[in-house]
Amino acid sequence: MKISAARGHRAARVAVPIFPGSNSEEETVRACLAVGLHATLVHWSAGPAALRGYDAYVLPGGFAYEDRIRAGAIAAHDAMMDAVVAAAQRGVLVLGICNGAQILVEAGLVPGTGPARRPTAAFAPNKPGGRFVCRHVYVKLSVPPDRCAITTNLRAEEIIPMWAAHGEGRLAASRHELGRLHRSGHIAFRYCDRFGNFTPEATPNGSPFGAAALTNKDGNVLAIMPHAERDAWTYQQRDGAVRLDARGDAAKMLAPAGGIRLFAGLARALGVKK
Amino acid sequence: MLKPVAYSVELTIPDNEAYTTLVTLVRLGIVCRKLERSEVWVFDVEEARADDLEAQIRSIETIFNPNKHVLFALGSPRPRPGEVWVGERDEDAGQPRPAALREVRLAGRTLEGVFGYRRYKGWRLWESEGEVASQEVIANAAETLLCNPAFQVIIT
Repeated sequence: MKISAARGHRAARVAVPIFPGSNSEEETVRACLAVGLHATLVHWSAGPAALRGYDAYVLPGGFAYEDRIRAGAIAAHDAMMDAVVAAAQRGVLVLGICNGAQILVEAGLVPGTGPARRPTAAFAPNKPGGRFVCRHVYVKLSVPPDRCAITTNLRAEEIIPMWAAHGEGRLAASRHELGRLHRSGHIAFRYCDRFGNFTPEATPNGSPFGAAALTNKDGNVLAIMPHAERDAWTYQQRDGAVRLDARGDAAKMLAPAGGIRLFAGLARALGVKK
Repeated sequence: MLKPVAYSVELTIPDNEAYTTLVTLVRLGIVCRKLERSEVWVFDVEEARADDLEAQIRSIETIFNPNKHVLFALGSPRPRPGEVWVGERDEDAGQPRPAALREVRLAGRTLEGVFGYRRYKGWRLWESEGEVASQEVIANAAETLLCNPAFQVIIT
């Protein structure tokens, strides 16, 4: 399938659909704007027609529909998702973050190894204990950059800091499916330590292979559990050296950094040259 | 000797989750007029302690809150007509279990005489007023929405 992307003739238009219970939409829009994308919040009550014609979709984090039934389950079947599913199947870029990632998995868009709306994987309750985790993490690109359109402009094995904040972020699937996801390059990012080492301690939720993100076969959909948009500015960086370098300089402190790289990858894939 | 004892905990206040689920099922074309949700607990309890179990459960507020719940024992540890139970798959099935049984701790409390438990979300469907859903409808609802087979199982 050809990946559908704007080629810089006009500002790439990105829709950020919000459902009742979404809560990270403002940060997501801000990160999109910072990398030159024209981002618009689209309220669920606007109806699916309001989502037509965008160059990409970014589903933000939160607790859509209060996680009723399961995280992402109701939103995945919301009429709004009809437009996103149809667009994804045409090759339009779709990024889901945290609850947005859970929605994409429930909608069957990632890993996309079954029919739409028939999930073959899940972001299941964390292990051990099923507790909500809120923790700073690092993720490493664990597929070739061109495996996923959104990561094409990242460096091979690039490490990006983010915040994990979820109760259901552990990749789950049948043993057979997990093996297939690993072998077929569906696991786009893995948790690692700040030096890039994959260790059990670096994974906050017991996810097999330290999986933090899934992409589909065609590489136009990316579902990532940790929040890049919550680690997207210099003042948010955990690395003291980064903040030290900006000390006393407001412009530097407020400059994009860290997790903004993921959004920059989306923007470059959409033809934004900024 | 352990025996399974099942309890259903249901809301006495309006159940928004059940309402949202019903609306979604209808949108997906499932023939369903009414839907009830419950938390189902199946405890493996020593036969001699089974009579005490309900009082123990009623005293754990994270399971049972008398201001908004009704709790009752199910006659058998199986779903009722029109009902499906959805729970997480036991990923440790087939793995060696500890040789010595330990009493279950829930919400910081030891459940005396209880050595295991399983927890499900129970969904009871009606096709029309007074007529519980058929197995076909239940299976369709589970496959379409209520269960993600990647990590959950159903009991009908």
